[in-house]
Amino acid sequence: MTAKRPPGLPWPARVALWDRALGAVRDRLRAAGMREVSTPVRVAAVAIEPFIEPLTAPPGYLATSPELAMKRLLCRGSGSIFQISHVFRAAELGDRHAEEFHLVEWYRVDDELAAARADVEALVDVVLAAAGRPAVSWSTFAILDVVAATLGRELRGDEDAEALVRVAASVDLELRDPGLAARDPDVRRLAAWTAFFSEWSDRDLDPWLRDRGGGVHLCDFPPALAALAEVRDVGGARLAARFESYVDGVELANGYQELRDPAEQAARFAAVSGLRDAHQLPALPIDERFLGDLRGFGLPRCAGVALGLDRLLMIAAAAERLSDISLALGSPGR
Amino acid sequence: MDVSDLRKNAKLEIDGQPYVVVEFQFVKPGKGQGLYKCKIKNMITGSVLDRTWRSGEKLEAANVESRKMQFLYATGEGFTFMDSGTYEQVELREDIVGDDKNYLLDNLECDILFYNDRPVGLSMPSHVVMEVTEAEPGVKGDTATGVTKNAWVSTGYQIAVPLFIKVGEKVKIDTRTGAYVERVNE
Repeated sequence: MTAKRPPGLPWPARVALWDRALGAVRDRLRAAGMREVSTPVRVAAVAIEPFIEPLTAPPGYLATSPELAMKRLLCRGSGSIFQISHVFRAAELGDRHAEEFHLVEWYRVDDELAAARADVEALVDVVLAAAGRPAVSWSTFAILDVVAATLGRELRGDEDAEALVRVAASVDLELRDPGLAARDPDVRRLAAWTAFFSEWSDRDLDPWLRDRGGGVHLCDFPPALAALAEVRDVGGARLAARFESYVDGVELANGYQELRDPAEQAARFAAVSGLRDAHQLPALPIDERFLGDLRGFGLPRCAGVALGLDRLLMIAAAAERLSDISLALGSPGR
Repeated sequence: MDVSDLRKNAKLEIDGQPYVVVEFQFVKPGKGQGLYKCKIKNMITGSVLDRTWRSGEKLEAANVESRKMQFLYATGEGFTFMDSGTYEQVELREDIVGDDKNYLLDNLECDILFYNDRPVGLSMPSHVVMEVTEAEPGVKGDTATGVTKNAWVSTGYQIAVPLFIKVGEKVKIDTRTGAYVERVNE
C-alpha cells in the first residue's frame, strides 16, 4: 500500500497565495512600464514546437502559449506588454506538469535580454515575498560551460547531428530520434540537439541544478536550440540569445532576444514541422498571419519571457507538486 | 497504445510478459522531449524494474483481466478456483499461489488474473478471518504486552498470536504481511 498523499495547501491559503501572487506580478510588470493585454485562448495556429501538443478546439486549437498573438500586437505598435494567460498542452501530466497552466509572458520593446532576465529575478522575489519566503540568489552560466562541467566535453554549439551523436555516445548518452534520419540537415540538427538536451537535462543538468539550489540562468544556447531567439556572435561563436531560468532545480522561465527576420523564422518553423513529421506527430498549421506581420509591419527589437506561474507558486509555498497549490477543482484532465 | 496513455496501473506487454505500472512520473526538460519514467512490475514473477519511455514511442497494452473466483480445493500440484457465475474452473500452479496458500480457505473469494485468457496470478483480500485449530498454552501470570505464542489455523499455517488466544477462536490475519491483526468475536 502506498501512503496517501498529503493534501497540499488548505484551500483558503491557496486562494490567498494566488491573490497575492497575481497582484504582485501585475504591480511589478506595470511598474516596469508594461501594459497588460489579454489575447484569445482559442487560436487558429499555435507556435509550433517539436514536443508540445495542442488541445484541439475546432476549428482551431487552445493556445499553448500567447507568444505569437502578443508578437502580432507588438508588430502593430503596442509597446511593452505583459499577459497572465491560461495555456494548454496535451498529455503533460506530472507533479510539475498540468495540461492547463498559467504563463506570465512579457515583452520589453527596444530592450536587451539582460533586462528581461532581471525581470525574472524581480518576479521571483515579489512572489516569494508575497508568500513570506526569503529571496533567492542568482547566478548565470553559459549552457555549454555547464555541459563541459558535467560531461568533461567542450562543445562549440555548431556541431552537426552526426558529430553531436558521436560526442553524446562518448559520454554514454544515447541519442535515438527518428529525426536523425531525416534528409534535411536542419531537421537532423534540430533532432540531435533536442535529443541531446533532453537526455543531458534529465541525467546531468537536473542533479547539477538541485545540488546548487537557488536561482540559475542558463544562457547562450546552441543555434539549433534557439527556438524563437535571435542568433548572434558571442566571442566569435554563433549562439542564441536565449536563457532558461531555474529555481531550486525547477525550470521556471524561458527568455529570448526575439527573432525578427521573417525568412529565418519561416525556416525554423519548417525545421520544427520536419521533426514533427519524422516523429509521425500530427501536422500543425504554420501561423502565416504571424509571418505576414513580421514581413509587413516588422517586429520591433524586443526581449521577451514566458514564466510558469503555477511552478513559481509551488516554490513559494515550499510545495512539491502543482496539485498542492492549484485552484483546479475537478478539472477534466485524464 | 501511445506513451502518453501511460498511467499508474496501466498494463503493458513487454517481451511477451505482462507488466503493471506501479510508479509513474512525467518530466520534460525545457523545450525537450517528454520522458515517462516508470517503475513496472512483472505481473507473473512480481519482479520490479525501472523503464523510461520518450514521447512518441509506442507500447503494447497487455491483454489482462481480473475475475472474482472462489477457492475450491488443492490437488497437490495446484489450486482449483471456480467462477461462481459461470461455474468455470481454473487451476493455478503452486508457484503462482506461493505463500498465499496459507490463507486459502474453502470458498474464499479471490481475484484471479488472466493474461491472454491464461490464469497467471491471484490477488487475495487484504485480510482473512481464520479459526485457530491448535495453540500453545498461555503462561498464567505473564501479562507483559507484546508477548506471543505459536498457534495454527485451519490451513495448517503457523502464526504468532497473543497469549489470550485459545483454540476454536477466530483471528484476523493480514495477507500482505502474514501477521495476526486481532481476535474476531462473533
